[in-house]
Amino acid sequence: MNRTGWAQIKAVIRLEFKKTLFARRGVWIYALALLPVLLYIAFAFAVGNRQHRSEGFARHGEKRVAYQDLASIQPGMTKDEVISILGKPPVASHWVEERPMVGAPNVRIAHEDYRYSDGRNDLDVGLAGGRVVSLNLTTHANPGQDSVMFAGVFQFFFLRLAVFFGCLGIFMNLFRGEILDRSLHFYFLAPIRRDVLMAGKFLAGLLATCTIFVSSEILQTCAFLWHFTASEQDLYLYHNHGLQYAAIYAGVTVLACIGYGAFFLVAGMLFRNPIFPAAVALIWEAINPFLPNILKQFSIIYYLKSLCPVEIPVAPGTPPFFALLISNAEPISAPWAILGVLVVAVIALYVSSRQVRRLEVNYTTE
Amino acid sequence: MNDRIIFEDVSKFYGEILGINRVNLSIPPGITSLVGPNGSGKTTLMNLMTGLVMPSRGQIHVLGYRTDDPENLFKVVGYSTQFDAFPKGLSGFQFLYSYLLVSGRPSSEAQQLAWQAIERLNMGEAAHRNVASYSKGMRQRIRLAQALAHDPKVLVLDEPLNGLDPLARAEMIALFRSAASQGCYVIISSHILHEVDIISDQVVLLSNGYVVAEGQIQNVRKEIQEHPTQIMIRCNRPRELAAKMFTSEQATEVSIHKDERGLLLKTRDADRFYLALNELAMDGIEIESIAPADDDVLSVYEYLIGNEEVVR
Repeated sequence: MNRTGWAQIKAVIRLEFKKTLFARRGVWIYALALLPVLLYIAFAFAVGNRQHRSEGFARHGEKRVAYQDLASIQPGMTKDEVISILGKPPVASHWVEERPMVGAPNVRIAHEDYRYSDGRNDLDVGLAGGRVVSLNLTTHANPGQDSVMFAGVFQFFFLRLAVFFGCLGIFMNLFRGEILDRSLHFYFLAPIRRDVLMAGKFLAGLLATCTIFVSSEILQTCAFLWHFTASEQDLYLYHNHGLQYAAIYAGVTVLACIGYGAFFLVAGMLFRNPIFPAAVALIWEAINPFLPNILKQFSIIYYLKSLCPVEIPVAPGTPPFFALLISNAEPISAPWAILGVLVVAVIALYVSSRQVRRLEVNYTTE
Repeated sequence: MNDRIIFEDVSKFYGEILGINRVNLSIPPGITSLVGPNGSGKTTLMNLMTGLVMPSRGQIHVLGYRTDDPENLFKVVGYSTQFDAFPKGLSGFQFLYSYLLVSGRPSSEAQQLAWQAIERLNMGEAAHRNVASYSKGMRQRIRLAQALAHDPKVLVLDEPLNGLDPLARAEMIALFRSAASQGCYVIISSHILHEVDIISDQVVLLSNGYVVAEGQIQNVRKEIQEHPTQIMIRCNRPRELAAKMFTSEQATEVSIHKDERGLLLKTRDADRFYLALNELAMDGIEIESIAPADDDVLSVYEYLIGNEEVVR
């Protein structure tokens, strides 16, 4: 491409980026992008409340206990052993079980439930007949556990719904929106190659979606880390790959915008009604785990899932259908996954460039 | 071929609806008016000429450029459409400036050309107002400014005088004439026939998607054999001259003008009539003027198309 072509692309990006980013009809895209941020903020508040309560338990306990003390309690210990280590519980309840016996009178078993806390971790101890029968150590702020939750929200909400529909709203409107507004002729009357115009519009859409969704991803990470203490944040970000994960998620978001953007750009030129291609693409992406290997390669989520840094574990007992949806049974290597998204995008952009040359300004038939 | 706008057997169908059919045209420089009732194919012809729609059949070349090559075509073509929509949120200046930037002009040149076009169209005061707040006439002007901004060789103007007040119309007509006198190809569609008559060097008459006549209006008129030519003669003794005319073989119909200072006659052979007139007028009748009365667009239009939706 010559210098004029680049100048034209720059001019189109300038016009389209502003228009796309500040479009009133695109407010719902911002809402979609901000929803996970709000979710993490709400989660941080909930964790904060729980921690506040735990701190109360810790203050009201007979002894000041440490995490190691809580972790030292084992099933089978006697009530006295527990109290000698952790002191009298700040919260306790008891009840009596009447257990029926065959051919014998009912047996009465005394149950007691204790709750201890070191201020950040709670230990629920279940005693029956004076011995520990159940233990539940809850850590409110657990970066490892929470990063799995983050991965779940990222894969199942952010990528599959927010970025997917956001790209639909922005890229399908790049040409279709102007046909509906009857303003497409503005560009078609300029001495600009149609494929150069398409490239400019695509890049403007990409810039807008990346601005919205990468910003959202960064805000999500900040909101996600909010309820951790400074040392926990430091540990997660610099020693447990947190920063690396955040960068990978941002990269996956950019790739998702490229892939879905290219797909919806061509869909906007081929279809008048966005509902049909959106529904087909949504179903196609959803059934991806059930598709034969060759067909999987024509799906964007297949590559994106392979790039996500945190594997979502399948809980035991999950029905095979859902387990298949959650797990990424055949992940491919990162370079191939990146290449895969780019190849899908290039194919879509090639079809777009052919289509845009045939596009006519004929508003009355729209 | 490189100095004309050529349509070779061009047809355009919108599904089953006919836009234009089997059009062959060769448009020279000057002002060419496309005349026809609504739905006759004027806008389709213009959209085809500018590549906004593609022909279903045939080929179009504008000064040698194909219409599916916008990169080169719009370096020489400026099109003021009838589409009354603009990119949102732009002022008049930004609209022109953005258009020129998209055209690949450097920023400083785009600014300069945008201001030149604004001044040419007398829109300086409104240049920084949002286009959405413009009146119909101002929107028409800014569209004309867009078409003119890059100083094109071919100006395609779809109903360019719509919405303009009489003063602005006169200014625009002067502008079109000036462009034509500099060798531009000015293609104008209009259904206001007296304006077309004033400004056109040649006309293309369209009806139901077909070109029914094209060329200089006088030549078109000559070719319409079934309607005798009307001639207006201004003289001092119209009744006497009318009596003599009845004896002539050339006049088929003679009537005295309402003001009694001339007569209107119809002839099937104007050239022979003019020769005969010299003899008939020898007996002291003073002829002030002789002029064809129906070689204007209006008459030709009525003869060929009828009275469909035209404004005189």
